[in-house]
Amino acid sequence: MKMSIFGFRPTSLSMVIAASLTLAACASAAPEPVGVIRVGMQPMVQTDPAFISSDTEVLFANHVYDYLVDVNPQNQVVPRLAAEWSVSDDGLIYTFTLAEGVKFHDGTSLTPEDVVWTLDRLRDQDVGSPAADLYGNIEAIQAIGDNQVRINLDQPNPFFLFDLSDNHALILKANTPDPATAFNGTGPFKVESYSPEDRIVLTANEDYFVEGAPGLAGMEIIFFNEDSAMADALRGGQIDLMMRMSTALFESLKVAPGIETYDIPTNGFDLVRLRSDRAPGNDPRVVQAFKLATDRAEIFELIQQGYGAVGRDSPIGPLYVDYYSEAEQIPARDVEAARALLAEAGYEDGLQMELHTPDTGGRPDLGAVLKEQWREAGIEVEVIVEPESVYYGADGWLEVDLGITGWGSRPIPQFYLDVMLKCGAKWNESHFCDQEFDDLVDIAGSTLDEDVRKAAYRDIQRILIERGPVIIPYYFAQFAAIREGFEGFELKAFAGRTDLSQVSLSQ
Amino acid sequence: MTKESTTAGVTPARGWRPFTVLTRLFGRPASAAGTSIVLIFLLMALIGPLIAPYGVNEQIPSETRQAPSPDHWFGTDHLGRDVFSRVLFGARDILLLAGLGTFLAVLAGTAIGLLSGYRGGTFDEALMRVFDSLLAIPALLLALLLLGVVGPARNALLIVIVFVYTPIVARVARSVVLSVKSKGFVQAARMRGESETWIIFREILPSAFPTLTVEGALRFSYAIFLIAALGFLGIGVQPPNPNWGLMVAEAREHVFQTPWALWMPALAISVLVIGVNLMADGLRRVLRVPGA
Repeated sequence: MKMSIFGFRPTSLSMVIAASLTLAACASAAPEPVGVIRVGMQPMVQTDPAFISSDTEVLFANHVYDYLVDVNPQNQVVPRLAAEWSVSDDGLIYTFTLAEGVKFHDGTSLTPEDVVWTLDRLRDQDVGSPAADLYGNIEAIQAIGDNQVRINLDQPNPFFLFDLSDNHALILKANTPDPATAFNGTGPFKVESYSPEDRIVLTANEDYFVEGAPGLAGMEIIFFNEDSAMADALRGGQIDLMMRMSTALFESLKVAPGIETYDIPTNGFDLVRLRSDRAPGNDPRVVQAFKLATDRAEIFELIQQGYGAVGRDSPIGPLYVDYYSEAEQIPARDVEAARALLAEAGYEDGLQMELHTPDTGGRPDLGAVLKEQWREAGIEVEVIVEPESVYYGADGWLEVDLGITGWGSRPIPQFYLDVMLKCGAKWNESHFCDQEFDDLVDIAGSTLDEDVRKAAYRDIQRILIERGPVIIPYYFAQFAAIREGFEGFELKAFAGRTDLSQVSLSQ
Repeated sequence: MTKESTTAGVTPARGWRPFTVLTRLFGRPASAAGTSIVLIFLLMALIGPLIAPYGVNEQIPSETRQAPSPDHWFGTDHLGRDVFSRVLFGARDILLLAGLGTFLAVLAGTAIGLLSGYRGGTFDEALMRVFDSLLAIPALLLALLLLGVVGPARNALLIVIVFVYTPIVARVARSVVLSVKSKGFVQAARMRGESETWIIFREILPSAFPTLTVEGALRFSYAIFLIAALGFLGIGVQPPNPNWGLMVAEAREHVFQTPWALWMPALAISVLVIGVNLMADGLRRVLRVPGA
C-alpha cells in the first residue's frame, strides 16, 4: 500500500509540473510578437460602465471602451473619441467631431447615435448611474450628420469637459441590451474571457483607431484580495504591474530587484475636521488652537515618508497647477499660542475629545501622531479606530465632532468645495458655513473667466487657512511598481485611469 | 475533631501555602523557568513604566525605523517610538487586564460552579446546558460578538474575559463539587447541621482550591492570548495603546522596513504565554491536581 503511494506520487507531481510548464510555455509563446502585461488588482464587482467605481473596474473599462474626451497625466483635457470640439461663446453649446475609422469590437462603426444613446442612458435617473447628477444640467444631446454630436447645457459649466471625462462616461454601442456582459467597446483591448474572482484576459484590438496602440498583444487583470500577496506575486514574477498601495509596501518594492517604481503626487488627501456647528468647534479660537497645535511637515514625513506633498488645509492641492497658491502663509506650529486660545475659549484645563478614524491607509497612524502633537497643546484625544464600513456606514462620519476622512483625487477642485465645504452640502462633515466662502465657491463654479476663477480659488484657500475647521496635513502620492522590460508606462493620480495601451515591451 | 483538621485532612495537597508552593515550583527546571518568566514579566509590569527609557507614545521624528541599538534596545517603529519602552508599558496593560479578568472569572465561576453543583437538580441542569451552549462558541468569536455589543471601551475587554471564562471555570468547580459532595466530611458537616454556605465555602471550597488554582493559571495564559488576538484584530483596544497584539498588527504593514517592531511584541506574547503554561504545569504537579 505504502509502496504504491510512493510510486504514484512523484509521477503525478511531475505530470503536474510538466503540464504547468507546457501551459507557461504556451502563454508566453502565443503573444510573442508584442507581449502581455499582467496587472495585479483587487477583485471587481461592476462591469457596466455606468456603475463602475473601483480602480479595477475603471482600469478594465478604460481599456475595453473609450471616453469622448480624456484627461492626461498633466490634468489637461485631451481628445479621445472626439477628435475635436468647439464651444459657443455663451458656453452653452458644445459640438464634438468624432474621430474617423472607429469600430466597435463587433465590427460595427461608431456613430453619433452611439454617443447620444450612451450619454442619455447615463443622465437617465431611472438607470441610476452615479453620473446622473453630474449631467443634470444637460438640456439636450443630438446627433448632427454622421460624425458630430451637439450638447446643449442649461447654464454654463466651465468644467463640462472634465465632467465628460468622468469615469462612467465610456461610449457604448447604442441599444446594447446588457452593458454589464456585452463588453462591446471601441477600446484598445477586447475581452477574451472574464472569470470573476480570478482574472480578466484581454487581447489587442487590431482595428484600434489610435495609431500604434495598443503596444502589447494582450493584457491580463489578475485579482488579489490582499495587497501584500499582490506584492509577493510581483516580486515572484507572477504579475508585471501593481498600482495603488501603502507607502510601506511601496518602500519594500523599491528595493526589490528587477522592479521599477513610480510615485506621483495626487490631489487626494486625509481631512482632519472639527464639527463647527456646535461646541467646542463652533468657537473660532478652538479651531485656531487645533491648527496651531498641528505640525503638518512632521506628519508628512512620519506618515507619508516624504511622498506626495505637505498639506495646506485646502482641497485645492499642488496638482491643480493653475489654481494652487502658496501666497497665504500657514502659521507655524505654536503650542503656547494654542494653549492660550483654548484658555480664552474657556478650556483652561485642556480639552478632551474623541478622534474617530477609519482603519484604512495611514489614518490610524495619523491619529496616533495627532494625539501626541495635540497633547502638548492641552488637547487630549482618544483615538477611536473603526472599520471603514462602520465609519462611513449610517453616516456616522458626518456626525462625529472630530474625525479623519480620506478624500480621493479628482480632476477638478470644484467638486470638493461643492460637496464638502459649502454650507449644507451633502458631505459637509465639518458643518462649515461661511457666507463669504460660499459666494466665492459659486463664482468659481460658474464663471467663464479663468482669471476670476483663479482669484476666487486663491481667496478660498486663504479663508480655509484662516478659519476653515479643517486640517489637511498632506496630499497623497500615487504609487506603481512594474517589472523591468516595459516602456511607455505613465501613472495617473487615479490609478484605474492609467493608460496601458501606450505600454510596450522595451527593445 | 476541630473544623480545621476536618478540611485539612482531605485536601489532596497538604498545606496550601503560597511560599511552599513557590519553593516547590523551583524544584523542577521547567516550572522554575516558567515561574521565573512570569515573575520577570510581573516585575516589568510593576516597574516597567519607571525604567522605560522613553515615553510610551513619545515620537522622535528624527529617529524613525532605527534598528535595535544601545540607544533603542528593540529599535524604533515607523513613527519613531521606542519599541522597548512600548513593550515595557504593554506588560502592565496586558497583565493587569488578563490578571484581573481571570481573577474575576475564577471568582464568579467558582461561586456559580460550587452552588450549582452542590444544589444539583433542575437549576443545575439548566445552568449547565446554557454554559454548554456558550462553550460551543469559540472564545474569540464570543469575544467579538460581545465587543460588538458593549462597544470598544477599555473595560469592555475585562467584561469579555470574565464572560468568556466564567462558564469554563464554573464547570471545573462544579466537577470538583460532584466528586466531593458524597465524601464523609461533607456528610458529617451536614449531619452537624451546618448551613449550606458554610459547607460550600468552608468544607468543599478548600478541596477545590488546587484545581481552581491550576485552572486559573491556564485561563490566565488563554486570557493573554485572547487580549493579544483581539488587539491584533484592532478590537477592544485603540491605538496608540501599547497592547502587544495591536503593536504586532501595526508593525505588520511595515515588516520589511522595521521587522523588529513586529518581532519584539510577538516575542513578548509568546514568552509570557509559554512561561504561564510552564508554571501552570508545575502548579498541577506541586498541588497534585489530576488531569491532562
